[in-house]
Amino acid sequence: MLRPAGLWRLCRRPWAARVSAENPGRREITSGVSPRGSTSLRALNIFDRDLKRKQKNWAARQPEPTKFDYLKEEVSRLGGGADDAEASFPLALDLGCGRGYIAQYLNKETIGKLFQVDIAENALKNSLETEIPTVSILADEEFLPFRENTFDLVVSSLSLHWVNDLPRALEQIHYILKPDGVFIGAMFGGDTLYELRCSLQLAETEREGGFSPHISPFTAVNDLGHLLGRAGFNTLTVDTDEIQVNYPGMFELMEDLQGMGESNCSWNRKALLHRDTMLAAAAVYREMYRNEDGSVPATYQIYYMIGWKYHESQARPAERGSATVSFGELGKINNLMPQGKKSQ
Amino acid sequence: MSVNGAVWGRVRSRLRAFPERLAACGAEAAAYGRCVQASTAPGGSLSKDLCAREFEALRSCFAAARRLHLKKKKNLGGSC
Repeated sequence: MLRPAGLWRLCRRPWAARVSAENPGRREITSGVSPRGSTSLRALNIFDRDLKRKQKNWAARQPEPTKFDYLKEEVSRLGGGADDAEASFPLALDLGCGRGYIAQYLNKETIGKLFQVDIAENALKNSLETEIPTVSILADEEFLPFRENTFDLVVSSLSLHWVNDLPRALEQIHYILKPDGVFIGAMFGGDTLYELRCSLQLAETEREGGFSPHISPFTAVNDLGHLLGRAGFNTLTVDTDEIQVNYPGMFELMEDLQGMGESNCSWNRKALLHRDTMLAAAAVYREMYRNEDGSVPATYQIYYMIGWKYHESQARPAERGSATVSFGELGKINNLMPQGKKSQ
Repeated sequence: MSVNGAVWGRVRSRLRAFPERLAACGAEAAAYGRCVQASTAPGGSLSKDLCAREFEALRSCFAAARRLHLKKKKNLGGSC
């Protein structure tokens, strides 16, 4: 995973020093993280998946589960709109489904059967009602228990940003898709929560002399296109969107993030956030980013991606040297077009 | 998580009071925020305790707000 290069340059040595002083036992694990600024894509082990499962289970067990759903609902609504109403998908897979938000926006006529996969059993147990016949499967996004050429459609909404080996996960998705199958995904992108990241970084530097990352690293949008291509997908589309949500303050934002099950689970996270640092960060956040009405914004940058698995029927670029007209004749294009098309 | 989450619940309830206490210290928080923000301007550099004075003012206001908050809680006769 790539970290956004900009602000990490601010304070390099103190962070490395803090890791060795305070967490001597953790160094072997953090040494597996790809070095800052490199484009090594075979990332090894950044996230503690076991902890992520516990966090998602905890979040799914909260008394008011719909209180923190707004972001997933919004993204599912936008992503569900990408679903082509003319196509039909007998077998579909929802990867990292959570409580099954996408199912609400899928059309019963287009989807035959929906498989919902998540790592947290509580989320699957409390999944939302839907008319589409569903099967719930407890599985990790990186280790999918399906055969090759199984699914016509794979969707994934806001769960791939916690995957350790994203190239491998995308390759697996490509593997389980049928030829002419499509993958539609949405994941968080580089600018997500940059206000929170900056505020914590500045406050921690001022209060403690160094800082450690509290926001997980995100994939850059260029790399996402390359990864999808490397995994074998055709006809890629990668689109970015920014959702800004206003909160009363930083503490409410952090509570909502925990309620969504999006708490930090990187191996190199600091186990403790001092109260003084939290207070300082909240003050900095408010001063640097607040809106006119006193609320503070939080930015969620979403990448929407669509990729197809190759099939002979799909359009391909024409062979080199097969052109029958040249660009120089563009001025006479009305004469060149066949009569049937001109009448449209 | 522990058996009944007593410690977590206690710490969490204290944390839930933070926004209210911070709202009571708007001026000090703004002063601290401005100090830190000024160091991010070109030519400035952020080091430890650069804004220690503003932070001390913020922290003492925050602590005072805690006493006020606890008194209010006692008057309301309930726990939040």
